Amino acid sequence: MSLRYRALDSPVHRLSPFCKMAWVGSITLISLFFQHPLYLGVFFLATIPAVLAARIWRQWAVIMLFGIFVGANLVFINAVLIHHGSTVLVETTYEIPTLGTPRITLEAIFYGLMMTLRILIVISAFAIFNFTIHPDDQLRAFIQLKLPYKSVLVTSMGTRFAPLLFEDLLRLGDAQRARGQELDRGNLFHRTRKRAALIVPLLANALDRTVQTAEAMESRAFGQGTNRTFLKRLPVTRFDWLTITLAVSPLLWGILTAFVLHYGGFRYYETLDPLGPRNGTEIALLAALPLLSGTLVLLGALKRRWDLD
Amino acid sequence: MIEFRDFTFHYGADPMPALKRINLRIEAGEFVLVSGPSGGGKSSLCRCMNGLIPHFYGGKVSGGVFVDGLDVLRHSPKELAARVGMVFQDPENQLVTLSVEQEIAFGMENLGMPVERIRKRLEEALDTVGIAHLRHRPLAELSGGEKQKVAVAAVLALHPAVLILDEPTSELDPKGAEEVLSIVQRLNDELGLTVVLVEHRMERVAHLMDRVILMDQGEIVADGIPGEILGGDVPERIGVGIPPVTDLARRLIAKGATCGKIPLTVKEGRALVLSYLKNGCRPAPPQSPPSGAVGAPVIETAKLWFVYPSGTTALRDVSITFAEGEFVTIMGRNGSGKSTLVKHFNGLLKPTRGSVRIRGRDTSKATAAELARTVGFVFQNPNDHLFADTVEEEIALVLKNLAFPREAIHRKVEEMLETFRLTEYRRRYPRYLSGGQRQRVALASVLACEPKVLVLDEPTRGMDYGLKRDLLNHLEAYRRRGNTVILVTHDVETAARHADRVVLMSEGRIVADGPRREVLSRALLFSPQINRLVRAFERHGFPQDILTPGELMEALP
Repeated sequence: MSLRYRALDSPVHRLSPFCKMAWVGSITLISLFFQHPLYLGVFFLATIPAVLAARIWRQWAVIMLFGIFVGANLVFINAVLIHHGSTVLVETTYEIPTLGTPRITLEAIFYGLMMTLRILIVISAFAIFNFTIHPDDQLRAFIQLKLPYKSVLVTSMGTRFAPLLFEDLLRLGDAQRARGQELDRGNLFHRTRKRAALIVPLLANALDRTVQTAEAMESRAFGQGTNRTFLKRLPVTRFDWLTITLAVSPLLWGILTAFVLHYGGFRYYETLDPLGPRNGTEIALLAALPLLSGTLVLLGALKRRWDLD
Repeated sequence: MIEFRDFTFHYGADPMPALKRINLRIEAGEFVLVSGPSGGGKSSLCRCMNGLIPHFYGGKVSGGVFVDGLDVLRHSPKELAARVGMVFQDPENQLVTLSVEQEIAFGMENLGMPVERIRKRLEEALDTVGIAHLRHRPLAELSGGEKQKVAVAAVLALHPAVLILDEPTSELDPKGAEEVLSIVQRLNDELGLTVVLVEHRMERVAHLMDRVILMDQGEIVADGIPGEILGGDVPERIGVGIPPVTDLARRLIAKGATCGKIPLTVKEGRALVLSYLKNGCRPAPPQSPPSGAVGAPVIETAKLWFVYPSGTTALRDVSITFAEGEFVTIMGRNGSGKSTLVKHFNGLLKPTRGSVRIRGRDTSKATAAELARTVGFVFQNPNDHLFADTVEEEIALVLKNLAFPREAIHRKVEEMLETFRLTEYRRRYPRYLSGGQRQRVALASVLACEPKVLVLDEPTRGMDYGLKRDLLNHLEAYRRRGNTVILVTHDVETAARHADRVVLMSEGRIVADGPRREVLSRALLFSPQINRLVRAFERHGFPQDILTPGELMEALP
């Protein structure tokens, strides 16, 4: 399963990179505005139509598994370290140094779960971004947004060199195995210690690569003058402006809902607030968000690819 | 076009100059080959031509370098970029962007060229190098040869007057190398581009050149037309290889033959042999093939299949046996399955189907570390073997991993240091050693535990003649002790000289397996220069399985 961008002709791929950047930014920001599990759940659901329409659900599922792994750790750590909450599930009398008396509460577990959901929203949004925008278009979009060119290029080169470094790491591991080192045996501590020996040669190889790349860039006038030109620019048509506006609308919706109408707050400690919506207005507000995302996908389905080519 | 005036350069505080009093003039339109042993100053010389020395590397400089009228000491590489293009050794590390078009446009964009001009030059560069069909492909999907062509196109788009190529083919297979070199030759022929090429494999390039410069220890030790330089005694003295046909010519001259022009190609070599035969000589009767006496089997694969997790089937039904005391080379195109096959011999890869047995032991039931005592594995890049802080610790590493007693470790380390002439470097950091010394450390670090089989995965790629000769001498000595050598290589001349047996692979299958004379003679691509030469003399009664100049000399009276 390759986690690289694949060129597909889907409604989401057809949308302008600027539109998808605006949408990802909006969803990420509003997931930080709200504490309410219902809202977070709706934001997560709002990313699903784009995943399905883009036909990237396999890659998305792999990334989500990683998110769930991170989340499971987060839930565990939160449950062990946070002793607040009135619904005690497990409590002991003995004391663990630095951790105190173990006391696991429903509220702490629930809070960990909601943090996990927030992480999954962000990961899901960025998965859509990475799997539906060509890396070159990402680079161009950032440059057109006036981000410093050198910083953007370095980020893009990082994308290029990461798989090479990974290959280096595998090869160095093989070289060690071939010389009698049992890298895959022993407990976690021993395995980690043995693998740590690969870091120095890996860094040395990476430095060699860096010098060679710097030489090649220098030889092709990198950093010469300030009037750099760009072969390709991403066009922004009226249609794109329409989709960009629609993509920003979740952010506007979030500002209105959270800061003007004061919906979406939720208390986890000492006792969980009720989970259900407060009134009809809140239900309508919650229903609006998936509709906005769905409309965006629908517009993508109507858009032809010619303006990107 | 390029002029060095009494130029000397030291890297940093190094008291030894990397370049010593260089005086050199290269005219516009010349095709110049720069060769010499590793560390001789070839790459430094090239880096002076586009200003990387001294602007990028720093150091102590005296004298001057002038390129197309510009003083390199006063103009940075960025300023020189539009006049001097440089293509480097490793295609991976010189590409900056993610796609072909973007890569070619990169330099022009940096120079602030108008977009219309970039578009025009992009098209020209794509067509000139013949990679228009790759224009929309991501760079990550291209082969090494294709990437190197993109690098040439990216430089060419800047319309330089000088093209410098620093070992551009050392990472490529023969086909990729030939394609890149033919493009460079065309650029020199048709566009009149001045080309400076650094290369070790003389048989690939000598015939393309107007001039050869040989360097050793920072100095130019020979400079002239290829035939004269390669036919002289300097190459042998400083450790530079010469094409086998040139070697043959030297031997014939020593035997009294007259030769107007030293041959550099098979065609020229044929003419020389023909004139020698016309002088009344007749070939000796065909040689009898060498006996194929070998010992007991050490590696046996049976109906071996291997499929990578990506779904690529790399090996298909491979059944092969290697015996004690054999020197076997495995050859084939990139992606033919050579490396995948040999990684099964020490358990780095496990069969998807079928079996691999090392001295009767099933590798699927053993780890690579457990098999290390029996099968040593040398990777292409010696740096991949260097983990420790000193040379002696590096050699001791494998012995400690395999739980040798302390006394034995001490004894073996001393023995290896002496055998591989590393005693004086025993406390040096291995990565600070020269290329040849690092190769010796890598070999010593594998051979310390006395494996019965030694597998080497393209160890000679990018290696100069002297280092290659050194390595092969070590391998011969190792084999003479009754051990088995399995060498993966693209170098057909090495196979012709050293192998007992040659295995040819294609698309994951073994397509030929036999004594070297059988496999390497009468082949189109995988045959050495001398074998291609003797084919024209079949009617003269020449044996058709002659592979090396020495064998041909024996066949001639």
